[in-house]
Amino acid sequence: MRSRFDVRAEVQRRARLALDGVERLVGGLGTAMLALVVLVLLVVTAMAAALGVGLLVLPAVLRAVRAVADRERARLSRWGPEIIAPGPVPDRLRAALADRAVRRELGWLVGYAPLGLALGVLGLGLPINAVRDGTFVLWWRLVPAEFATSSLGWPPAHSWPGAVAVSLLGVLWAVVVVGLGPGMARLQAGPGRWLLAPDPDADLSLRITRLTTTRAAALDAHATELRRIERSLHDGAQNRLVTVAVLVGAARRAVERDPANAAALLGRAQDAAEQALAELRTVARSILPPVLADRGLAGALSGLAVNCTVPCRIELDVPGRCAASVEATAYFVVAEALTNIVKHSGAEHASVTVRRRVDRLLLSIADDGHGGADEHGGSGLAGIRRRTEAHDGILTVTSPPGGPTTLEVDLPCGS
Amino acid sequence: MRIVIAEDDALLREGLALLLRAESLDVVGTAGTPDELLAAIDAHRPDVAIVDVRMPPTHTDEGIVAAVEARRRHPDLAVLVLSAYVEKTFATDLLAGGAARLGYLLKERVGRVETFLDALHRVASGGTAIDPEVVAQLFALSRQDISLARLSPRERDVLALMAEGLGNAAIAERLFVTEGAIHKHIRSIFAKLDLAPDERTDRRVAAVLHYLENSHPA
Repeated sequence: MRSRFDVRAEVQRRARLALDGVERLVGGLGTAMLALVVLVLLVVTAMAAALGVGLLVLPAVLRAVRAVADRERARLSRWGPEIIAPGPVPDRLRAALADRAVRRELGWLVGYAPLGLALGVLGLGLPINAVRDGTFVLWWRLVPAEFATSSLGWPPAHSWPGAVAVSLLGVLWAVVVVGLGPGMARLQAGPGRWLLAPDPDADLSLRITRLTTTRAAALDAHATELRRIERSLHDGAQNRLVTVAVLVGAARRAVERDPANAAALLGRAQDAAEQALAELRTVARSILPPVLADRGLAGALSGLAVNCTVPCRIELDVPGRCAASVEATAYFVVAEALTNIVKHSGAEHASVTVRRRVDRLLLSIADDGHGGADEHGGSGLAGIRRRTEAHDGILTVTSPPGGPTTLEVDLPCGS
Repeated sequence: MRIVIAEDDALLREGLALLLRAESLDVVGTAGTPDELLAAIDAHRPDVAIVDVRMPPTHTDEGIVAAVEARRRHPDLAVLVLSAYVEKTFATDLLAGGAARLGYLLKERVGRVETFLDALHRVASGGTAIDPEVVAQLFALSRQDISLARLSPRERDVLALMAEGLGNAAIAERLFVTEGAIHKHIRSIFAKLDLAPDERTDRRVAAVLHYLENSHPA
């Protein structure tokens, strides 16, 4: 029993790897074709430059090389360890040609244009041939005789044994794809991994720069968050407690003079104390909503959607996690926006989309209600704006009279 | 006594008004923003303005700025500042114009009605009322000051209470000594701070100001 499962798992694994490999090879075909175009452009420009014309165009061509190289970096970063892009190409030609990153890119271009193209064509062609030849035995009699060959054009198959031979060839193609596909993809990625990655030395300093900026951003996000908490404590809970002290003080003075009034004052003091507790609870929740800690952003937002009385669809595409304070802000914004929709919009449907684009978290909350949302109308919009801007985020409200209403929030992730 | 209250928190504002009215004080106006405060002072000409430090729009020092402006427009106006926490720079901003008719209290003192009313009356009648917590923090900073370092611990206590705005009798009561003893301490303080008798300046105010000024972080 066990070995059969092992075999099945192994076959599945191999198939997945092969598919992955084919996908990468075909993706590489795209950048390889771009590389070839730019290589031709470069050679033409360089020859023109040797004749004295075209020197002015050369920096632009180098920037085009950089653009293609960046595309390849992004592609490779999706499949493996991230390749960090170098700084911009120097403006002056001499400096650009002396730039190590530019030189390495030129080397990559020369190597990758033919190699990537050839491997990409194989990656695209082999699976097609495998399917064509593999199924040949099913349809060879339906096509004119001059087409009845294998995908190589040889041998001609005018009989059943020939057709079967061609189909076996298809199986061979499939075996080649499964066996060599992943290796070919690695080979195709080789020049990029080798030459497009920064120098080991440059790599470290780039990394430090990047870490420094992201760390500063994270610290900033935390500082604004602490300021917000400090403010809600001083202006909310503390004022409530001072009110309690004031009312209790007044009640103490009134006990003898006017006992009925003293009781009324104590009643108000108690109300204020309860409000202080409620505000403290709100502050505590706003620091880190417990559901966010327990279930992450996706779980927390789904919970909001489920509890929303207007049917709400959630789409979430957020790989990894953002800084806790950013997630808390996103959660707060969605919660507040959904409350608004239920209270004011008259909508029948709502939708929430959350996406992550590099270092930004993009939220979009839409409804099909009657629109006309007003930030100064005492709705939660002002709170959403305050909270968003405390994180250097951007809030855009689109709400024409008659609807629909869309809230777009763009938050830096701080990580 | 005619009073204007500036506090952006509506509940606390009402609570304060309630407390003061129950004490038969005349709350002639209330304000939730610095602009409303200045308008209320211009309209009602109160004796005292009770001002919260943090007010809209940024909730930092709008109250202090408004209080300084109000005192510029109406030099006779007494101002009692209420603060959520001790902020030395705010206190010194206000004191730059002299300590007379000025109070700076932590918000929670308001609940101790007797102390609060005492401070209010003192400020209204031309005196000073600085929160003991503020004085303590200023003192902690002033340890390095040479002339203040010459004071004995007892003299420092006396000076600190003077800075709070208490009179000799009240200081004597707090320190459980006779008024005569307080007189002796004060004379000694004046001598150590090189404050010679002078017709034009009040040595008592000068001593307190010296103390407060030297409490600035360098």
